[in-house]
Amino acid sequence: MIYKKDANFPYPILTNTSTSYKNSSFLLDVRLEENTNDYRLVIDYEISSSFINDLIKSGDAVLVFIIQSKDTRFFMLESDQLTVEIPKNRISLNKRTSIQLHIQSTKEINFSKNKDLTAFYNTFKDEILVSRNSLLGFSNIVVFEGSIQNPFVLFEKKLDENLSSDIKVELGSETIIIHYRKADYQFNGVGSSKAFNNPYIYTGLRTALQRFINEYGKGEDYVDLSQIPQPENLLDFKLYQLMTKKMIEEVSIDTIDEVISLISDKIIEKYASAVKELINNGN
Amino acid sequence: MEIKLLKPGYKNNEQFYRDFLEDKIISNDDYFSNEIVTIANAPDFPIYIAEGTGEEKKQSFRQAFQVMASFYINTDRDLHLDELFWHSLLVTKKREYILENYPDVTTSFGDFKNIVVKSFDWQNYIYKCVLAVEYIEDYFNNAEEKDRYYNLVLENLDLYNYIIKYSIFRNAEFLIKILTIIDELDISGIMKAKIKDRPDLGTDERYGRRVIFELNKNYPVIMSPLLDIDSLKQEVIQALSYYYDVSEIRKNMLQLEHS
Repeated sequence: MIYKKDANFPYPILTNTSTSYKNSSFLLDVRLEENTNDYRLVIDYEISSSFINDLIKSGDAVLVFIIQSKDTRFFMLESDQLTVEIPKNRISLNKRTSIQLHIQSTKEINFSKNKDLTAFYNTFKDEILVSRNSLLGFSNIVVFEGSIQNPFVLFEKKLDENLSSDIKVELGSETIIIHYRKADYQFNGVGSSKAFNNPYIYTGLRTALQRFINEYGKGEDYVDLSQIPQPENLLDFKLYQLMTKKMIEEVSIDTIDEVISLISDKIIEKYASAVKELINNGN
Repeated sequence: MEIKLLKPGYKNNEQFYRDFLEDKIISNDDYFSNEIVTIANAPDFPIYIAEGTGEEKKQSFRQAFQVMASFYINTDRDLHLDELFWHSLLVTKKREYILENYPDVTTSFGDFKNIVVKSFDWQNYIYKCVLAVEYIEDYFNNAEEKDRYYNLVLENLDLYNYIIKYSIFRNAEFLIKILTIIDELDISGIMKAKIKDRPDLGTDERYGRRVIFELNKNYPVIMSPLLDIDSLKQEVIQALSYYYDVSEIRKNMLQLEHS
């Protein structure tokens, strides 16, 4: 699976943001070619560490090419392999697809000769032993966006006169849908009608974030955003992007309200000032 | 066969449901986008497999597997893993079949949503079948082995559901390896059993689900989808040991290795 930020590892990992390696970089670029039946992915990568490059050359580590779309596929690359072909009946690039390269050890690796680590490790790198099948590094993620219908739309309003409650929040496939039983409840035509809907928006965000924590919390009541892969659910993906762009690192049941205030651009403040305005101009 | 694709927005539309019952969908252009997809053959198959005895359900799954393998999974994945395609197919071409085989659809809008326009994820029966068939058909060449693994999926359905729920485990090699391990260690019965002495885990927890949960928790430090079968076996037993006394399983495994 695909890693966005530095997950916590008990040993040095080579990534584009790693502080364990000097001038650490692991850059991946993927070009897509296709014919009638197949997609061909042409891989171009660059690894800054000669220690890691040597491990790959000698076969003590292997590059794993990971494609995540509807499901996850792993390809163990031969040391000189730079293309991967997949028949179109086994991959769908119309949906959002993320691609990443991992480096995995094929036997126990001793880091004593790793000259690419930062000085911090000088005194104890002799003691670093990484077991077989461990992750040694991961690249940036290459994303084919596919067809998210509304990349910037998080909410939809719908009117449903048969609703059994006045209002209903539904988590759709890529939006939060607020159903209203009466058009009146949308405050159309009343002053700043958009701001008057903010309490509903707030409720919608709360519902969506609760599910988010439930889904990615691995049984805990919080989610460390740097430790989870990019969600495949499109609504969750939008929330994830929104939060990481605002530099939120963790969302928990206790901090939902703080998170909402960070990602929602003062919705309560706007609501309050719209109400005030209505009272002042009221008739 | 040409299939007109639906316009998004039908799922929660109760009028759409009533029009389905009254056979008024195909004639109403408002329900469709301009897109049309073609598929050579689209035979009937069980689309919803939640009712009947265990054996009846297995029979339905087998029938679905067979039809999928012959007619559906060799189309582009943009088609056979696309919710809109399946919903459009069901609503426009399978109405008769659905009314005949799933009469509950006529009782309520909820049933219709649950059976016909069901979200295309791990809880959807078509989705479950498509992935199992893709994985098994691609992995094995001979019919006997395919049969063996189709049966293993059916014997371990609860676990299969949990495997395809997590995107990192939604992978042919991983599924095949896990099923092989369960078969070799003869732990299918344990894996689907409910955990009774741990009320803290919830009311319907099963050993198999917890094993997958633990493997997911350990990722990526332990990259279980990439492990060879012997290393994965150790991880499975380790994960199971947090909930179940595995000393017998370990003993049997040693005996197997030495025999």
